[in-house]
Amino acid sequence: MSGNDINRRDFLKILGWSGVGVAVAGCDRPTTVTLEEGKEEVVAYLQPEEYVIPGVGVWFASTCQQCPAGCGVHGRVREGRVLKMEGNPDSPINKGKLCQMGQAGVQGHYNPDRLKKPMLRKGGALAEVSWEEALAALEQKVGPASGLAGDRFAWFTGTVSGHQSVLLSAHLAAMGSKNHFIHETINNAVARTVNQDMLGEAMPRYDLPAAKMVLSFGADLVGTGSSPVHFSGEYAKFRTGATRGVLVQVEPKMTLTGGSADLWVAIRPGTEGVLALGIANQLLLGDELKVAGLPENLRTLITAYNLEKVAGITGVTGDRITRIAKLLKERSPSLVLAGASVEGHAHGYQSAAAIMVLNIVLGNVGKTILPSGSSAFPQMEAKAGGTRDLLALADAADKKALDVVFFHGANPVYTAPAALGLTDKLKNIPFKVVFAVHPDETAMNADLVLPILSAHEDWGTHMGVYQPEQKSISIQQPLMERLYPDTKGFGDLLLALLKARQVKEYESFADYYGYLKNAFAALPASVKGDSISDEDFWGKSLQKGVLNIGTVAGTLNPKMVEISFPEFKSDAPDYYLVPSAQLGLWDGRHANLPWLQEAPDQISKVVWNSWVEMHPATAAKLGVKEGDFVKVSSAQGAVEAQVYVYKGIHPQVIAVPMGQGHEEYGRYAKGRGVNPLKILAPVVDAKTGELALYGTRVTVAQSGRREVLVKLMGSETQLGRKMVSTVTASVFNRTEGTKNVT
Amino acid sequence: MSLDNILTNWSRYRKGAEEGGFHEYEHQWGMVVDLNKCIGCNACSVACYAENNLPVVGEKRCGKNQAMNWLRIERYWDEPDLEPYNATPSANIDAWIEGNPPAKKAELRPSMPSSYLPGLLEEGGQSFEQRVGFNGTKGEFQDFGASFLPMMCQQCHAATCEPVCPVAATYHTPDGLNAQVYNRCIGSRYCSNNCPYRLRYFNFWSYYEDAWPEPLHMQLNPDLSVRDKGVMEKCTFCIQRIRVAKDEAKMENRKVIDGEFSTACVQTCPTGALVFGDMQNPDSQVSKLWSYHQVERGKTKQNKENKELRGYRVLEGLNTDPSVLYLERVREV
Amino acid sequence: MKYVNEKDINEEIKWAQINTDILQSLQNPRKAYWVAIAVCLAMLSCAVVAEVYQYQTGLGAADLNRPHMWGLYIATFIFWIGMSHSGTLLSAILHIIHADWRKPIYRFAEAMTTFSLMTAGFFPMIHLGRMWNLYWVIPYVSDRGIWPNFRSPLVWDAFAITTYLTSSALFLFIGMIPDLAICRDNVTGWRKKLYTVLSLGWQGTDRQWRHFRKTYMLMACFLIPLAVSVHSIVSSDFAMSIMPGWHVTSFPPYFVAGALYSGCAAIITLFILLRYFFRLEEYMTVALMEKTCKLTFAIAMVWTYLNLVEFGATWYGHDPVAKEVLISKFVGPFAPYFWAMMFFGSVLPFALAFEKLRRHMPTMMVVSILLNIGMWLERWMIVGPTLSHAYAPEAWNFLWPSIVQWAIVFGSFGWFGLLFLIFVKVFPCVSMYEVKEMVFHRRREAHAEVAEKFHRRAADVQQATGRPSVEGA
Repeated sequence: MSGNDINRRDFLKILGWSGVGVAVAGCDRPTTVTLEEGKEEVVAYLQPEEYVIPGVGVWFASTCQQCPAGCGVHGRVREGRVLKMEGNPDSPINKGKLCQMGQAGVQGHYNPDRLKKPMLRKGGALAEVSWEEALAALEQKVGPASGLAGDRFAWFTGTVSGHQSVLLSAHLAAMGSKNHFIHETINNAVARTVNQDMLGEAMPRYDLPAAKMVLSFGADLVGTGSSPVHFSGEYAKFRTGATRGVLVQVEPKMTLTGGSADLWVAIRPGTEGVLALGIANQLLLGDELKVAGLPENLRTLITAYNLEKVAGITGVTGDRITRIAKLLKERSPSLVLAGASVEGHAHGYQSAAAIMVLNIVLGNVGKTILPSGSSAFPQMEAKAGGTRDLLALADAADKKALDVVFFHGANPVYTAPAALGLTDKLKNIPFKVVFAVHPDETAMNADLVLPILSAHEDWGTHMGVYQPEQKSISIQQPLMERLYPDTKGFGDLLLALLKARQVKEYESFADYYGYLKNAFAALPASVKGDSISDEDFWGKSLQKGVLNIGTVAGTLNPKMVEISFPEFKSDAPDYYLVPSAQLGLWDGRHANLPWLQEAPDQISKVVWNSWVEMHPATAAKLGVKEGDFVKVSSAQGAVEAQVYVYKGIHPQVIAVPMGQGHEEYGRYAKGRGVNPLKILAPVVDAKTGELALYGTRVTVAQSGRREVLVKLMGSETQLGRKMVSTVTASVFNRTEGTKNVT
Repeated sequence: MSLDNILTNWSRYRKGAEEGGFHEYEHQWGMVVDLNKCIGCNACSVACYAENNLPVVGEKRCGKNQAMNWLRIERYWDEPDLEPYNATPSANIDAWIEGNPPAKKAELRPSMPSSYLPGLLEEGGQSFEQRVGFNGTKGEFQDFGASFLPMMCQQCHAATCEPVCPVAATYHTPDGLNAQVYNRCIGSRYCSNNCPYRLRYFNFWSYYEDAWPEPLHMQLNPDLSVRDKGVMEKCTFCIQRIRVAKDEAKMENRKVIDGEFSTACVQTCPTGALVFGDMQNPDSQVSKLWSYHQVERGKTKQNKENKELRGYRVLEGLNTDPSVLYLERVREV
Repeated sequence: MKYVNEKDINEEIKWAQINTDILQSLQNPRKAYWVAIAVCLAMLSCAVVAEVYQYQTGLGAADLNRPHMWGLYIATFIFWIGMSHSGTLLSAILHIIHADWRKPIYRFAEAMTTFSLMTAGFFPMIHLGRMWNLYWVIPYVSDRGIWPNFRSPLVWDAFAITTYLTSSALFLFIGMIPDLAICRDNVTGWRKKLYTVLSLGWQGTDRQWRHFRKTYMLMACFLIPLAVSVHSIVSSDFAMSIMPGWHVTSFPPYFVAGALYSGCAAIITLFILLRYFFRLEEYMTVALMEKTCKLTFAIAMVWTYLNLVEFGATWYGHDPVAKEVLISKFVGPFAPYFWAMMFFGSVLPFALAFEKLRRHMPTMMVVSILLNIGMWLERWMIVGPTLSHAYAPEAWNFLWPSIVQWAIVFGSFGWFGLLFLIFVKVFPCVSMYEVKEMVFHRRREAHAEVAEKFHRRAADVQQATGRPSVEGA
């Protein structure tokens, strides 16, 4: 793809300088030679920093930290300032591409509301203190002298991987604690469990290009999936293969992926599993498909779900079901995926399992679902989280089982449903330490806030949660010198914490940078390749940004599990709440990035605010129109936002996007929109204990107010202008499908 | 010398008028957008914000439609071509310009359903926003995905914005680009009024005053300016990148190599739906795609041998001769 | 028809009487005058405040947006340009065809022309994003060899308007010279000095009269095509674009008709005001009122016709987009204003068809103002709807003009009023010498032999103020 070459060419320029990162880290403020309203002094380029070429942008490799996917990036640095992110073509995950969140990374780094000094809670209020004082407080509470040990100490983080993860585990070990809570609101935890149980691998590889059809039950592959950019690339291949793949999306509310579907089917939330069985039923009619190892009880279950019954439960018309079955039959191999809308119910596990059954029935395992294997360094692999640990934390806090908790990369106070009463329960934890870049809700509720370096200033290594073709470590190096002198690297702090406990093991490392270098030197020759020396290897690694660490082949051995569904009672008067996730604000962590606030939601085109999606029929029933404010209330609370009406949603569903409604988090996020997570009912998936995000019932009432809904889209339809024109797939296959057009 | 200047310019205008466009091009930068691949994810748009110092204007001004999204992704719910009875009218504009009026019955339908007449008959008392509101498909549900359409300045070769600018602040470069000279612009906004795509954005305010609070301003790209109130602006095909590439090629005394650089949007597009290149270079990816889809520059009506090929240009019938080729969205029906 | 033999003017009126009657309009302003001035100043200051604010903050303050890049400013610009048409154009035409009933009313009409042009001229500046660079529109030789874009209708505008302004101002002035001389001889103090300079040493000699007539006729002939072309060019701002609802062939005549229409309506308004405040019933007679009304009615019908032509052409044309725009005018967000325009512009003028109403000044006052409101709406209906509903569905929206726009539009009327008020106190708003001509000719028609007697200058000297009058027949 065009655009990659420029990066390569620029690298030739800097190939000579090994360890560029050191130089970046070492460069000092004045070299950012711009007259910002005369606030900065101009320093002549008589003796410029070795790597600074006035007026020439240089690209450094690093890793994107905007979501757990761990895409490799190139940061454009000019006069010591990082300006723009681009994908790293060497990364097997994103192959030189980047999503809008990755693009907006720089705004997290330059965010005007960043934490600049440590803060300590004194007499109820957080007050800025010096690092000395902060570390003293830390020492006093968690230092060896404090006598704190065992499970009364805990780490609460988002997805962690690489050497941070290694050090973090080491620290937990040093503290003698097993409590590592890992929390991600947007996760695929249930599906992972199902995969583990039924395939023997939590995160198998989905080979989209190989599939002739994808039947996705709410799996937002190219949106809020486990690796958006990667799957976007795969999607393109899937659509342009010898015969263009067909995408059928079945979900209660249209996701970004659904927005590209050939056939979009609205389904009553929670009944996806039933539909899967119903489709399996259609496939097995007359035993056209002989499926080895389909247990009798499962076969009977499937036969039980005949067309009428399934249609009745799911609200999907019979001909739709038969049509999907027909398509699946015609287009083998196919790929059936389960997404958030499947997982987020009390019987989420069952539904996901039923969907996996469909895969097995179709014989997709081994064709489009492949083993992704494991790496030689399991301790570095991403520790993906879910919402179960959020509940666990609340529970532990409630039981007063924790004395000290370290928070990093997660914002539980924002993401936890009000029903959990987390904010109050956290008060039971005497000492809460938050390692944060931005003043989020959790930080504001902490006792000690340690401002850490932004992703563009810090060192680190990462492994994406989804490692498709080959396992690799992606290196994160500083793209510019720290903006604020009173911020410290997360790795450095981890190291410091460890030194406090295990002096001799770690005293040899001056800092995290030293530790990483050392760790790289210690890597086996197989990884180092043809490097002549450790320095050489280190330099090359930094320039490439990605380290192929080899893959240990794995195998998938499908096996069935018990599936049973609750009795689905037909239409209740109230509605299902869908707290929809969006590629952009994500789980709310990007609400402080103005670019993403102003980038319209892909489906509704609304900007800067929250909205309530509903079906025209629903709107008519409630007597509301676009722009009307409605009150969406559950037993746990209520939110109020403006209505957006469209047909990409089930009439019994009310969708409110997550991401807004922050009480802290800086000027761009604070007090904007509403947070649907707050009104979620405390329903959990019976099997995995994950929070059932889609399991809340709500009522909706008009609140009388109405304003123009702010969206960057005038007419919703083309009005007969030939703006977007369409051809049928048959035509496409005739003209281009087989050929390879440049 | 000023007189010679104006005379030569004038002869150029005349030549342009007579021979259908300016001819001594060094390059002809063009683009191809494959709607089959586009998933409407916004990556291109945000990349544009990052590259081109586009100000963030905030909710209030977004509400007034004063946002500065040079590259916007339009999202439509209907897909006329998928509904047989709508197929003819969707080509209406082409049809009437080409002098063969569409069938009487079909003539009005496509523009009406979501427009005023039903708004008057069925949903009287509605606000303007709803009159042009939803109902993409006829059925109960949106049976297929949305129709995403990334729209950046189409860099027309018969640009309607160029002739109307009183001070010639927008003009055609030898690169085949439709350039906007900020310093020359006096803000009459005629160009934007005359752009059928509405892809020209005006600095209604001094956006820079609150768009980049310290230290966000450190992210600004030094390769191009930050615009103040009163000037028109639009997508430039990342002209600053073009400059760099051309200069380097010149220094190394070679031609610009296809794919050695690309615009911010094209570079970042996760599905590779966007392709950028020089259409004067016959081996470039864009040239190949244009010729494969049998679309030619400077033509109002493309007479393709193979009518099924997907290439089309938005509102081509208006004879603006855009530099952006769109490949039709593909759906399994 | 009982008024059929009504006289346009009482031909028995004495020439000296004419002088005194008209000249008194230049003297001792009454309280009402100062109030009027104050009101105008107040209105003007609204505009000034709004403009200063907009100048500092940018055009966002006017609530313009994409796609509504143009708003009330351009609409009002066209309105004032239109207003400027009747005065000079009609006066010139009627002059050429020797319709002498024009004589008592053309002076203030021409003044109106000049001042509304001076008002119109402000709007293109106000509406510019960077008004301080306005002069770039003028083709001046710069060392960089940068020229304006001669293909742009806006540049044509600049030329057309400046030309029209200068020539109509000249026409007004030349026509005034003999009167200025009269004033010069009848006043003292600073006015004396002023008129002495302005009357260019007019003595009323035969030679002067000969040249005067020639020049005046020449100017008239020159002005007629100019005036027509000016508004055609203004119309090309729209007709030359490709936007649906703008790209209309019939726009030039449509604009000219609209211009004459609003101009005539304005003449009626001012006619009544002057007649009432300066007690000029003797000169601005009901008969003249009737003639003006009839003319206005005729023009109104032409305008209506051209309107219908445009709608028909669009409706039966094969341009769905233009049709969309038209429909949006009928039923869209602009509908109320559109229908108001249709009522004021096409229905209301039928009031002018009734003699009773025509002769009833208060009614005419109201009607004429409503007509002009209708014509203002027409201009808005030209600019607005097209922008809201052009080709790109993405850009379909509607934004109500902000208070800033309204304030500036409002204030422009104050500015116009101010200029006009000053004019009527400084210059004779009725042409004395031409009224005398008129009276003279009518007398002759009425009873030749009496006229012969009266025609002797001596007769006048007694009755006049003693000084020999220099009106020089």
